[in-house]
Amino acid sequence: MGTAASVFSTLVHAVGGFPDDGKRRPEAVAVRPGSVSLQDVTVGYARTPVFEKLDLSIEPGEFVYLVGPSGVGKTTLLKVLFGMVRPQSGKIFVDGVAVHGMHRWQTAKIRRRVGCVFQNYELLQHLTAYQNVLLPLQLGHPRVNDPGGYAVDALELVGLKHKLNELPENLSGGEQQRVAVARAIAHQPRILLADEPTGNVDSDTSARILELFAELNDVGSTVIMATHDEFVLSRYSARAYWLDPKKQDQEPAHAQGVAS
Amino acid sequence: MRVVPTSTWLPQYAVSVLAYCWRCWRRRLTAWLATALAVSAVLSLAATAELFLVLAQHSLAQQARSASEFQVFLTDEAQQPQVDALRTKVGDLHGVKSVTYRSKAEALSLARHDPTLSNLASTTPGNPFPASLVVQLADPSAASQVASAISQDPATDHDVPFSYTPAQGKRLSTFLSTAQAIIVGVAAAALGVASLVGLVLLRSEIRARRAELTVLSLVGTPRPVIRLPVLVEAVSLALAGSIVATLVLIYVGGHLVPLVNGSLPFLQLGGAADAVRTISLATLAGSVMALGACSLLVRLPR
Repeated sequence: MGTAASVFSTLVHAVGGFPDDGKRRPEAVAVRPGSVSLQDVTVGYARTPVFEKLDLSIEPGEFVYLVGPSGVGKTTLLKVLFGMVRPQSGKIFVDGVAVHGMHRWQTAKIRRRVGCVFQNYELLQHLTAYQNVLLPLQLGHPRVNDPGGYAVDALELVGLKHKLNELPENLSGGEQQRVAVARAIAHQPRILLADEPTGNVDSDTSARILELFAELNDVGSTVIMATHDEFVLSRYSARAYWLDPKKQDQEPAHAQGVAS
Repeated sequence: MRVVPTSTWLPQYAVSVLAYCWRCWRRRLTAWLATALAVSAVLSLAATAELFLVLAQHSLAQQARSASEFQVFLTDEAQQPQVDALRTKVGDLHGVKSVTYRSKAEALSLARHDPTLSNLASTTPGNPFPASLVVQLADPSAASQVASAISQDPATDHDVPFSYTPAQGKRLSTFLSTAQAIIVGVAAAALGVASLVGLVLLRSEIRARRAELTVLSLVGTPRPVIRLPVLVEAVSLALAGSIVATLVLIYVGGHLVPLVNGSLPFLQLGGAADAVRTISLATLAGSVMALGACSLLVRLPR
């Protein structure tokens, strides 16, 4: 495998500054590239609320775990950040873009800037691993020079360079997960969202994926990862945001740090 | 990330998008062929029905034009001043477009060229055809006004004064209006059914690709690019269907229409070449627009 640092050496984050008066206004924080901000966000399906009045602020370059038991709303929160679910109320800013008011035809804008690893991989079954990584680069990032090279680099990073031409049906669940990770990082996103990216992989691969995310984070990317995997939490030190309502009562601020 | 110069990214991007469209189309070739077959069948049926309707409409319009030519037959004893006075009187009536005098000799000459009168013209000794005033009417129903105005005129033949009676004129006018309304209604229904079937086929086709469209949307593909293969597929279906429909029309126009003309003397549809050309173009334009619009109306996943 190559190193993330070598591949992402050209990654430049234009992190915005604060206002001249030095005061940190919430709006100023919210629109900074690489940041994520939820203000009074309420999300629900039909009449069943998933969150109510949720506040969360993530600085550019942070690594944050979304932690909680199954069904607590980790995936829904990531879907909200990715523009797949519209909030009932509140404001959401991702990478400086107001996601809460986006129409469906505008969501591609944020999705091109943010990488996302989906829980069920969402791979195109008729495309090879290489084509699955290449296609979003070709169609979503027309100005990228040599998209094929970036796709191969990303697959090399997840240890799948030898399976470039395999269809997803010929890959194991863990390998499909790694293709999904490669697709999410291939365009060097400023923000990476990952929904249980280690859910279907063995501990070695899990460690490798986590290491990859850490390297991405080291070069400035913001990483938000939903997990309930104790191994992951113990492996890499990062701020954890508990979505368990009981624990939120105990830690009412913006969650607690978890040390490895 | 390394970026390509502004001058070259657009053609490269176009190639990528077209390659993607081609890959989508090739992968669904079997389903596409089945859909194209159904669209072709619907368009061919609709176009054929349209061809017969248009030809029948032309035939009716021709009959309507003939019916608007109302003849006032003159008695053989009518003097020229009487004829001139009658001509002026008829010309001033409402609903009359023009009045021309047709002599006995001209009437005989015309009858010799008319398939339904040539026998009478050749077998009858002398000239049995009377001189007449040929009145061009705006509508056959206007014949009643002409009839009432000249019924007592000394120049008219009192045994057979007109080419058709005012009552016949009214009935003919009503019949032509009804027939035209039916033809327009049937044509609109055929076109509507063809469009509806095309839209349903395309929608089911797109539904089958929903999972793929969802993934493309999730990875940030611009929505116009996601729509493009669907649009290309819709247009290709319309083109294929139109080509098949045109071939069917050419066959029907070249073989079936002459057969109908030969078998049914009372229904003369005439030549079909112009109608085939017009309907082919209309089918092509209509199907491309209808199926293209349908592909744009389909909602993409969020």
